[in-house]
Amino acid sequence: MRAMDALKSTNRGAMALLAVFLCMAAFPSLIAPYGPSERSMPYQAPGPEHILGTTNMGNDILSELIYGARISLLVGFASALLATGIGLAVGLTAGYFRGALDEVLMAFTDVVLIIPKIPLIIILAAFLRPGVGILILVLGALSWESIARVVRSKTLQVRETGFVMSARCMGFPPLRIMASDIVPNIIHVVLPKFMLATAAAMISEASLSFLGLGDPSMESWGAMVSSAFTKGGFIREMWWWYLPPGICITLCVLSVAAIGFAFEEGEGTTVRVE
Amino acid sequence: MNPVLEIDALSVTFCGKQAVHAVDRVSFSLGGGEILALVGETGCGKSVIAHAVMGLLPGEAQVSGRIVFKGRDLLALSERERSAMRGKDCAIVFQDPSRALNPVHRIGRQIAEPVLIHGAGSREEAHRRAAALLERMGLSPPGNYLPLYPCQSSGGMNQRFLIAASTILDPSLVIADEPTKGLDPGRVREVEDELVRLTGGGRTALLLITHDLAVARRIADRIAVMYAGEIVELAENDAFFDRPSHPYSRGLLQSLPEHGFVPIPGSSPSPVSPPPGCRFQARCRDGKAVCGGQHPDLVSAADGRMVRCWQCR
Amino acid sequence: MSLSADRLARAYRNGFLPGSRRTVFRDLSLTIRPGETFGLMGNSGAGKSTLGRVIAGLEPPTAGRVCFHGRDTALMNRSEYRAFRRSVQVMFQDPSAAFNPKKTIGTSYMEVLDLIGTPRPAQKAVIAGILESVGLSGELLGRYPHQISGGQSQRLALGRILLLDPEYIVLDEPTSALDVSVQAQILHLLKELQSERGIGYLFISHDEAVVRFMASRVGRIEDGRLVIEGEA
Repeated sequence: MRAMDALKSTNRGAMALLAVFLCMAAFPSLIAPYGPSERSMPYQAPGPEHILGTTNMGNDILSELIYGARISLLVGFASALLATGIGLAVGLTAGYFRGALDEVLMAFTDVVLIIPKIPLIIILAAFLRPGVGILILVLGALSWESIARVVRSKTLQVRETGFVMSARCMGFPPLRIMASDIVPNIIHVVLPKFMLATAAAMISEASLSFLGLGDPSMESWGAMVSSAFTKGGFIREMWWWYLPPGICITLCVLSVAAIGFAFEEGEGTTVRVE
Repeated sequence: MNPVLEIDALSVTFCGKQAVHAVDRVSFSLGGGEILALVGETGCGKSVIAHAVMGLLPGEAQVSGRIVFKGRDLLALSERERSAMRGKDCAIVFQDPSRALNPVHRIGRQIAEPVLIHGAGSREEAHRRAAALLERMGLSPPGNYLPLYPCQSSGGMNQRFLIAASTILDPSLVIADEPTKGLDPGRVREVEDELVRLTGGGRTALLLITHDLAVARRIADRIAVMYAGEIVELAENDAFFDRPSHPYSRGLLQSLPEHGFVPIPGSSPSPVSPPPGCRFQARCRDGKAVCGGQHPDLVSAADGRMVRCWQCR
Repeated sequence: MSLSADRLARAYRNGFLPGSRRTVFRDLSLTIRPGETFGLMGNSGAGKSTLGRVIAGLEPPTAGRVCFHGRDTALMNRSEYRAFRRSVQVMFQDPSAAFNPKKTIGTSYMEVLDLIGTPRPAQKAVIAGILESVGLSGELLGRYPHQISGGQSQRLALGRILLLDPEYIVLDEPTSALDVSVQAQILHLLKELQSERGIGYLFISHDEAVVRFMASRVGRIEDGRLVIEGEA
């Protein structure tokens, strides 16, 4: 019981944390003390005017931090959504129809599974014009395979249950059976996967931005750390420049992952009383 | 002789959104060498009694009454004391051996495991006891069976191995919860023989929980029929099957194949708000006015049986 | 107008090696006539359920044919197959899996009527009529599957099948998971519905007494072969 309570309270903490980040992403102009293009003296230390000081360009670091949430979350959730969509489609098709289609799709999935992700993303990002859209597309298209595998194995299970067999027997079309009988009964395994994919995509985005392969027009958290390193923040020991975005990435990923784990736990602990 | 197990006014309530009265003031006692069959339909509370005796109920269960096992009230013991007793002095055999046995360990190891857990002997000693036990069960040479994995033998054999694992420490009380469910008819007999052999020494008591009346008839000494959380009839085996008293017992026997599957109309009352009078009254053929108003007690009838019915007095 | 299996065989691929197959049954023929019950017995794992599924068209046979109204189901055109699909239904063993746990019973009923094109306003009356014939009250329609008992669930599953007005129902251990008194109720209900509607049953069970109570003709699957009593 105590373990359950602990789990619930972490879950609540994670939700609250994620809510804060979502607010930052949704209404940055209301929360941030300065606009993204407002400049003042560069390299300021934290003070009453600028709580976290200013950058080499004289931008307010706190405001940049708040505006950065949008990119991180957008890339995270959008690419996870894409990955979940592809994973669901592939897994459902393979698991429901089985046979040759299943074998072809799963062989393809295995091929995608062994592609080294980060190196490929770096290469793609270097060749293609860097941009948020491309980043989402690439991250999404490369991280669906574990979702597809889980969805397929669950689908194989659910398709043998009485209600799916009866639906087939009554002549409901396959697409309708998948959408209305199978998906609602496997969504509980997809949700935690979705959250974990979001967390992974956020880390990938931060890494790529840190390497300078992100969208140069948008200052994401990874890009902030990167510019702190390259534009003299590190040499001047301005820890208030490079630590906060690092902490934000960590906390945001942590909250998303914790919610994902809580979903996963919740699936195991639902008890049916007869 | 003192009974091995004595249950006195045991009630179990599950406190969820609504309080579910799963077991309501159940009393019975069980002596060494005796087999008592607890029969009844899904949801009548028979498995809940088994779990209450073993101390395996979930946290939201409220238990009252007394469960006296060899002179000690189990409900007054700490979890540590109960856990030391579980598997050693009182054991439970679950249904579905394919889930109760661990598929990745050999049968021999699983039978010997309780000896090691309860510190009753060394590894060699444990294996020697496991082999001796299988020999006594008529499975010889035991060397043929000990190295098997659960997937290599039939459901009936696995159930016998499970019984062996539960009883290797020679417990005074064995609870078998639907031990024959899902087995083919031939296998059912094997398991029955095993259960009878267990109580043959006159020391071990067996509480058999089953919905299969044929199994109960073949091996039990006494039958307790449960309906909606209560015992409605408790009688000797022959007396019960020859002359069932309670209208529910009669209905139950009538719905067996040998009596032509005559159904009892209606369905069991809700365990959330049981009716105030006799709980079977709505489905009873000879119900009278008194049955709906007042709750009948379990009282002794002429031939020593106990019946909970206004009409059977 | 019968449902028949003609020299039917079914095998599964066994492991990864090509050519290694496990035969469930082979060379199996049987005919079910309208309004009669054919009882099928056999030990667990003998292939009873597989046979039921193949006859109902849920799995393809490895060899042989399933004929409905004298037509091979594998050669049917679209509309013939649709008629076959609705006329031959299966009722499964596990009452707890008979309905989609995420839908109310009422929704599960209505989607069947939508499928066969019953207009929405008329649906209520149709459902009420069916529920009456399986002996249940309309109050259950608002519930979810976990809120009903095993016996009620099997009745409701039967009712849902009856919405399609089938000619044949494959009953795959329909009462094996139920208590004896509920089993008796369901068996009587099945007999009643058969005499009212002239439905043919393929009744599959491991319980010999139950099969003998229900069926006019009885067969047993042993080692992949069907032995029909009285036709040795």
